[in-house]
Amino acid sequence: MQVIDKNKIVPLLDRLSKQSEVFVPTVKGSESGFYSWNSLNGAKEIALEALNVYHSPKNVLFPQTERMYSIEQGKQVFSIPDTFQDEKSRIIFGIRACDAKAITCFDDVFLTHGYEDSFYATRRKNTIIIGNACYQPGANCFCSSMGINPVQPDADVVIHDAGTVYAWEAITVTGQQFTEQVQDLLEEKDLGLPQLKPFSTEFDYDGVVEKLQGMFDHEIWHELAEPCMNCGTCTYMCPSCHCFDIQVKIWGDKGYRFRCWDSCMYTEYTAEAGGGNPRPDSQDRFRNRFLHKLEFFTERYDYPLCTGCGRCISVCPNGINIIDIIKRIKEVDKIV
Amino acid sequence: MTDITLKIREIATRLLQSDQVDVFVGWEKGPQEYQTRPFFVRRVEDVEKLVFNEYSIHNLTNYLLKYRDSTDRVGLVVKGCDSRGIVRLLQDNQFKRNRLYIVGVCCPGIKDPLKIAKNQSGLACPPNNEEIADKCTRCLVPNPIIYDELLGESQEPHNSGERFSEIKTIENMDPNQRYQFFEDTLTQCIRCYACRQVCVACNCRTCIFDEMKPQWVGRENSTTDNMMYHLVKAMHMAGRCIECGECERVCPVNIPLMLINSKLVKDMDHFFGSYEAGMEYVEGQKPPLSVYNPDDPDDFI
Ligand code: SF4
Ligand code: SF4
Ligand code: SF4
Ligand code: SF4
Ligand code: SF4
Repeated sequence: MQVIDKNKIVPLLDRLSKQSEVFVPTVKGSESGFYSWNSLNGAKEIALEALNVYHSPKNVLFPQTERMYSIEQGKQVFSIPDTFQDEKSRIIFGIRACDAKAITCFDDVFLTHGYEDSFYATRRKNTIIIGNACYQPGANCFCSSMGINPVQPDADVVIHDAGTVYAWEAITVTGQQFTEQVQDLLEEKDLGLPQLKPFSTEFDYDGVVEKLQGMFDHEIWHELAEPCMNCGTCTYMCPSCHCFDIQVKIWGDKGYRFRCWDSCMYTEYTAEAGGGNPRPDSQDRFRNRFLHKLEFFTERYDYPLCTGCGRCISVCPNGINIIDIIKRIKEVDKIV
Repeated sequence: MTDITLKIREIATRLLQSDQVDVFVGWEKGPQEYQTRPFFVRRVEDVEKLVFNEYSIHNLTNYLLKYRDSTDRVGLVVKGCDSRGIVRLLQDNQFKRNRLYIVGVCCPGIKDPLKIAKNQSGLACPPNNEEIADKCTRCLVPNPIIYDELLGESQEPHNSGERFSEIKTIENMDPNQRYQFFEDTLTQCIRCYACRQVCVACNCRTCIFDEMKPQWVGRENSTTDNMMYHLVKAMHMAGRCIECGECERVCPVNIPLMLINSKLVKDMDHFFGSYEAGMEYVEGQKPPLSVYNPDDPDDFI
């Protein structure tokens, strides 16, 4: 089995970041997230051994604000001088299975079913993903219940923490080519991989979709939604939420269009030009979040949009817990 | 606090049974020990789930906005800081006093379940303080200001040290240094608007930040738009913020929002005082900045 010594991780990252922007799980001040290795001068507190980081790497492939094209109003004509395609080569190093699955969700949303989002496609094409197998699930983790194998992230290469070394496993063709480039840092070694520790929460997700299909008007939503203040934190922190709005910045006769994250928790998200709003109440917006995650997405792509990372549980100021909600949905017997 | 819990249950039972309220808002225990969360009781059977404990941090007065367009009569539990939120809503004509039954609790100081959740999540981060919540260390009014029934022993203010000392440090920075401080801090904001959503003083039906025609503040995550958001929000909070600390508590990226709010509190008192938002309710009385007064100071403009 190929392995890389833990002492060689920093030299590896230093080398990789000469050609690519390398995003590494690190602690930065009071936050942790996937930050660009070169931007972290000084203290580089790598968090590869932590369960995960606070901010998922979704920003790398789907930035919170992304310029799309510039616009210019001439005397007679209106022109688009530039479209922005970000072709920089990137590496996401050490992503966990839940966050990697969220990228699989993005791939399906942005690249399949008849429409390709060129901005996402360009970024994605130039990004290599190195997964970090997860053997010790945390207090709010439930990826295994959402159909994810924590030790087998969707990635080009997967590393497995085995004490003083990481076992190195190339998964895709891209991963094999990548491995060849760093061959000199790897060595051969016989070793056993750790045992996956048990999850604190496991449930049978089967049947939730069918259940939800009959629950749109169920009274339970009122009770479940009542504590929610639609603050949107859960959707912004979620690795798989991918809603965006397209807006414009203009100075005089020049400007640009950009897209920026949006959330179904906001009133403005469904505001219509004519003044109407099909989801006027807090409860309607709350229900949409759960139906999209647990029902609509599965109807379209065959698996749920929640990857069980548990972040929304840790950040909701009002204690709303998606595991609880799934359990409540399962307990509903009366279908209205 | 068990005593208070039992009394709250007693009151809620009485109010629901005698049909004095349609809904009673308090707290229940979540799946984890520390995960106390807002709870809404409509049936006497559910009263048993109500609790008041060391994690009852949420300012429940914001939920009144959910009922402002209904005819529901609401019973709710408030701590000292939260009770100022009720004054806020009454002064803003967002709620009628006679639709409210207020159970005030003299607050011994509370812990923040979010900090503990973060510590226990396993997500890499420097450990958070699990003791008394930040806002409680600045609290001047642990005892509710407005209530129908008061529970618990009267408490002394929990604040210590010089008030506004942090503000003075920032005031004493030179302008470039100060600008840099705010730029560095506010560029971290992810503009999720959670701070607005949880704020009881943010009770406009259509928020300026949601206005699209015209769009007053851009949605770009950039220094300009972020600064604009925080400047406008600060101006709108002047004289309105009741220092409940919820905005800072819920911010997912730890923006020190109370620093901005404290400066507003200090300046409001200095220019228009003596004044402190939500400290007393006198029917019909308008707080400064809600009315125009020819003598209003304007030399700082
Ligand atoms: S974080 Fe909680 S309160 Fe905020 S929108 Fe999500 S579920 Fe609602
Ligand atoms: S819904 Fe919550 S648990 Fe599921 S992927 Fe999003 S943040 Fe993670
Ligand atoms: S849950 Fe809401 S914000 Fe998240 S992807 Fe679905 S619709 Fe968008
Ligand atoms: S809650 Fe924090 S991140 Fe969100 S908009 Fe407010 S200051 Fe910014
Ligand atoms: S600005 Fe913050 S502290 Fe002030 S009332 Fe609003 S939520 Fe409370």
